[in-house]
Amino acid sequence: MSKTYRLGFFLNKNVLALQGLELVIEPGQIFGLLGPNGAGKSTTIKILMNLVRPSSGTVRIFGTEAAKREARSQVGFLPENPMPYEYLSGEEFVRLAGKLLGLSGQALDTRVKEVIGAVEMSNAAKLQVRRYSKGMVQRIALAQALINKPRLLILDEPTSGLDPLGRRLMRDIILEQRSQGTTVLFCTHIISDAETLCDRLAVLVAGKKVQEGKVSELLSSQVPVLEVAVEGLSKEQLSSVGVNHELKQEISERLWVRVTDQDLQAFIGATQRLQGRVTRIQPIRFTLEDLFMNALQQAETKVGGTFS
Amino acid sequence: MIGSLWALIWNGYREARRNRVTVVVAAFALVLLFSTQLAMEVTVMTFDRVNTDVGLGSMSLMLVFLAIFLSSALVPREIERRTIFMVVSKPISRGLYLVGRLGGNMLTLAILTVVMSLVFAAELVLLRSPVTQPIIAAIIALYFELLVLSCLGFFFSSFSGQTVAAVVVSGLFFAGHLSGDIYRHASRSDVQLVQWVGKAIYYALPNLDRLDLKVQAAYASPVAWSDLGASIVYALAYSIALMIGTVVIFERRDFR
Ligand SMILES: Nc1ncnc2c1ncn2[C@@H]1O[C@H](COP(=O)(O)OP(=O)(O)OP(=O)(O)O)[C@@H](O)[C@H]1O
Ligand SMILES: [Mg+2]
Repeated sequence: MSKTYRLGFFLNKNVLALQGLELVIEPGQIFGLLGPNGAGKSTTIKILMNLVRPSSGTVRIFGTEAAKREARSQVGFLPENPMPYEYLSGEEFVRLAGKLLGLSGQALDTRVKEVIGAVEMSNAAKLQVRRYSKGMVQRIALAQALINKPRLLILDEPTSGLDPLGRRLMRDIILEQRSQGTTVLFCTHIISDAETLCDRLAVLVAGKKVQEGKVSELLSSQVPVLEVAVEGLSKEQLSSVGVNHELKQEISERLWVRVTDQDLQAFIGATQRLQGRVTRIQPIRFTLEDLFMNALQQAETKVGGTFS
Repeated sequence: MIGSLWALIWNGYREARRNRVTVVVAAFALVLLFSTQLAMEVTVMTFDRVNTDVGLGSMSLMLVFLAIFLSSALVPREIERRTIFMVVSKPISRGLYLVGRLGGNMLTLAILTVVMSLVFAAELVLLRSPVTQPIIAAIIALYFELLVLSCLGFFFSSFSGQTVAAVVVSGLFFAGHLSGDIYRHASRSDVQLVQWVGKAIYYALPNLDRLDLKVQAAYASPVAWSDLGASIVYALAYSIALMIGTVVIFERRDFR
């Protein structure tokens, strides 16, 4: 699908927020959308929730077109910077959400208690939302997303505004949901969150998907790199070893060099021939952060969509 | 679906109450208090008439203002504050959302109208003025005028900002009270085109004069229930047409 925001007086300025994005999310997965600011993560989610209409393409939730209201009956949604009605108390807001999802009576009452307990907001449940802090609002908004025991949970930056405890709570809730068979789609900038939570993830940059796959595969597909300490060689000598390497830094006569797994033996041999010594070898754990940075470097635009 | 609709309607009323919209009742009571003081000093013969005039006049002025400003602001404010995200993302259609918001608005206005009418009736009883049939008819007609104005507010605010919508609806309120005059003047013209334009304006604008029975009430001249009924049917038809237009426009809007 794609999305073009039309702006300007004659609708002649376009922002290509999404370009030919294709995503399939398998049931039971935790799917992460990663990308820099303005990459189109929120736009993707808004299209899924029928808040924004795609300029082209189709979107289906459990086989139902996203524009139909039935598609949303099994979905829990936490928007970016959620804004509950400020004149309601947290509990009243969660209750309203439950009613709009078709719950009523005893079932509604128990569910409201459960979800407010789950986000640890029982103490402040009777307080009006206008008196809440940002993190409290985030928690109440998460509670309303969980109220109908959704089969699909869509979270736009769920950990923004939360304290460390809140983050842990959010992670636990997401994992617990998965263990109950719920599919989770969430987007974030926080790479460590994505790394610990996701089964699968896609990286968006400037409205295009630049990478997608299982987290473990994405990480292992990268060439393993080793960091090697060389002693007894000057920088000039090192540059003449004739094996591919990258000089990272020099710390008290020790040169830290990166070489790939393949080149390691050749590199050691070459340094020895020049009377140098390799004193330490350590593998570098390749993280999602590096993957993310690589993906960013390959794209021409880093922040925002494509403007025309 | 009925449950969702009622939840939206009730929430709309709760919003109005918690945002202290109900102070207009207090303002109304104050106006009545002062005006009767004045009326007692100045008039002798036409005491009842002045009371009815001032009472109904201030009531309709306040409620009309409220209807215009509440209805023009409801939806734009929800979009601006992004409170709408967690509501329309529920399995409800946008049509149901709009009808629910309108319902909440009309429930608020109904409760205010009833309470203000009771205050007004109490005043009349205290002053030993009669509560006449045309007064009751005038209040009922006023409520349907509020309905038309609210629907106009929803319609214009579905594609423009709240200020623009409020200004346009206020303009239409005055024009709507003149549309009968426009029709009469235009049909007397010799130029065919002027006649057509006059007619077109007449049918496009809401004929709010039909729903204004304050004069009858002041002179205590009875209103036929069938006339009132016809006016109500007219108001309902006009409102439904407006809401259909609103839903069609709203259906294709992006919230961002
Ligand atoms: N209301 C709007 N009008 C015009 N363009 C918009 C609008 N909202 C978003 N965009 C554009 O769409 C692109 C994607 O925005 P989106 O909000 O989806 O980004 P995001 O990935 O969620 O970013 P962030 O991490 O900052 O939340 C951006 O280039 C932005 O300029
Ligand atoms: Mg975003």
